[in-house]
Amino acid sequence: MMLRIFLSLILAVSFFGSFSAKAETELWGDYSGVTLRVKLIGGGQYEGLYNEVIPWWEENTGGKIEIVTQKNHFELDKEIKKDIASGNLDFCVASNHTSFASQYGDIYTDLNNIMPASVLADYTPLILEHSTVNGRLVQMPRHSDVSNLYYQKSLYEDADNKANFKAKYGYDLTPPETWDQVKDQAIFFSNPPDFYGTQYVGKEEAIAGRFYELVIANGGALFDEDYRPIFNSPAGVEALQWFIDLYNAKAVPDGVLNYLWDDTGLGFASGTIAMNLDWAGWAGFFNDPENSKVAGDIGLVRAPMGSGGLRTGWSGSHSFSMTESCPDKEAAASFLWALTSNKAQMIEARGGLSPTRPAIWDAIIAEKKAEGDEFMLMVFETFKMSLAEDAFTPPLIPEWIEFTNALYPELQAAILGDKSPEDALATASKKATEIMEDAGYF
Amino acid sequence: MRKFLNGPWILLMPTLIILTCVVLLPLLLSLWTSFTPFKLTKPDTLYRFVGFRNYERLIGDLDFWIAFGRTVLFLAIALNLELVFGLGIALLINKITYGQRTLRTLMMFPMMFSPILVGFQWKYIFNDNIGLMNNFLREFGVIQPIPWLVDGILANVSIMAAEIWSSTSVFAILLLAGLLGIPKDPIEAAKVDGCNSWQVFKNITLPFLMPFVFIAMTIRSLDVARAYDIVQMMTGGGPAKRTELLWTLISRTGYVDAKMGMANAMSYISIFLSIAFTFFFFYKLVEARQRLSYE
Repeated sequence: MMLRIFLSLILAVSFFGSFSAKAETELWGDYSGVTLRVKLIGGGQYEGLYNEVIPWWEENTGGKIEIVTQKNHFELDKEIKKDIASGNLDFCVASNHTSFASQYGDIYTDLNNIMPASVLADYTPLILEHSTVNGRLVQMPRHSDVSNLYYQKSLYEDADNKANFKAKYGYDLTPPETWDQVKDQAIFFSNPPDFYGTQYVGKEEAIAGRFYELVIANGGALFDEDYRPIFNSPAGVEALQWFIDLYNAKAVPDGVLNYLWDDTGLGFASGTIAMNLDWAGWAGFFNDPENSKVAGDIGLVRAPMGSGGLRTGWSGSHSFSMTESCPDKEAAASFLWALTSNKAQMIEARGGLSPTRPAIWDAIIAEKKAEGDEFMLMVFETFKMSLAEDAFTPPLIPEWIEFTNALYPELQAAILGDKSPEDALATASKKATEIMEDAGYF
Repeated sequence: MRKFLNGPWILLMPTLIILTCVVLLPLLLSLWTSFTPFKLTKPDTLYRFVGFRNYERLIGDLDFWIAFGRTVLFLAIALNLELVFGLGIALLINKITYGQRTLRTLMMFPMMFSPILVGFQWKYIFNDNIGLMNNFLREFGVIQPIPWLVDGILANVSIMAAEIWSSTSVFAILLLAGLLGIPKDPIEAAKVDGCNSWQVFKNITLPFLMPFVFIAMTIRSLDVARAYDIVQMMTGGGPAKRTELLWTLISRTGYVDAKMGMANAMSYISIFLSIAFTFFFFYKLVEARQRLSYE
């Protein structure tokens, strides 16, 4: 099998539209008669890739792709867990994520044994490291996500705002460098129910992740080296207090604890939010006058710093994996390569998503410079720097999602005033200890 | 053997085999998993017997019992309100002489929506920022948005409103069928004897209708867990577990945390709830039928 892969290896220089990337190792082959069953993440920001790459791969290889499932990642996660339990792993390729991958045991094959080293060399080494579970490379990274702070520029240019803010807080109104400044400015800009200073995702893994990155930025940690919870600490209480203060000051919408990613993205685009911490995938949407009321008025800064002097940078990568049970591993490897190839990553980068191949960063920045698209240039330069300097993953352990499910109701209880931050974190810490004990960490 | 082959058992065998495969075996398997630390992502854990550990943990788990109590309350309030509204609608439609069929069809519209769609629809209605309800109230001077899906009481009321809207027509249809089957003679005789409408309803219509009421209650109490999708869409059991019902808790434990052994232990405890409701309604059904035949 490996022989056929190497025979199909072609070192080529690829040209796609108006950009040229560095030499890319391609992984074509003749897979006539092969049908790959795949389970993919669905949704507006993800499906454009499939519409272009699947016909491209089918045309070049003669193989066929059968999409068995296309649903949001949380539903896909449940489906794959059911597949594992029933032993019904009758698909070859599935969407995955670095935060989820460690849950799935050994159902996904070690791509170190399948993908030629020259193919792997085209990806950012650190991202490949994050894609590795117990020494096994179980996923090919598709695009990375980290969040930075979008804001409405005109609010910061308004002379009255500048004067009033300085009078009230004693420092100049400029895009925030720290999360304390975000709090001050959010409270200053808020005029509920018509306008809010900021917002945050308020439930499930989303708020747990936001809390996690703020704990890190405040100089704390979730776990010690034995995975004993240590977030019930001054850094943890300070992080949770930030959410509470904004909620109590009505600087975020009342319903924020039911918000997930779409709600915050659409909220900022509606023009009723001053600042929004979000990923690059929304950039194009925010600056499109047909979809967004803030188009043309958007600034972007790196995620601010916590009290520990670190910037928040909760990060991960969407990816694709190949099942160990796949009968056509060679064809599946070729498809995995196609889905994360230069061409594929350039398609997604044009929509604002952050590539996992260094060559595409260079190519997309060059393309935006040539087009004179100052906004997207700012987006790519900010996110490139953020991914290089600020990004960190959550603990890459199978218990991450279960842990976040234990944590987030306690965070919500503190935000709503049902519990003090200390009580909420103590309860969450107790539950987290139980989860880690059950998992055998100590 | 010959006797067996010629007897009734052989005729019952296909049914017994199907019931064993479809009902008994899955039940036994799920019962077994409740005595294991079975995780969906670790199939080997299915064979590790841990005795009553899952049940012991649940007995001391306050979150579980709060969700249990909230589910009982939710069932009791929602089913009774659905009954009252369904009865009212059925009585009104029964009075109509023109366009009854059209109204009966219209009445069934909410049943045609999947619970997921109902959840989305009502989540939008009760959205604090862009929801119909707050915009409607704003017209009447309520400027500060009401956090319908955040406040503990309002969130449960909102979910209940969605559930009642979705399922009242089940009661209405079953009770309308009962109303259509009531003989006219006793009602006319009562009216001739000078009974007013309330007396006719209380002493004749309602006793005739009671078996239908309990049949409807039994069906709905078994079927009400479909409301899981509504709750999941509207609040997911939150915020801060304020709307957590057994269904959301079990689903999250089983499919998101992948702890199917624990989720099945929760299910077996909650089965007692279903059995209690069903037994109560069957008991009342038999009682109502006996009273009817006696009268």
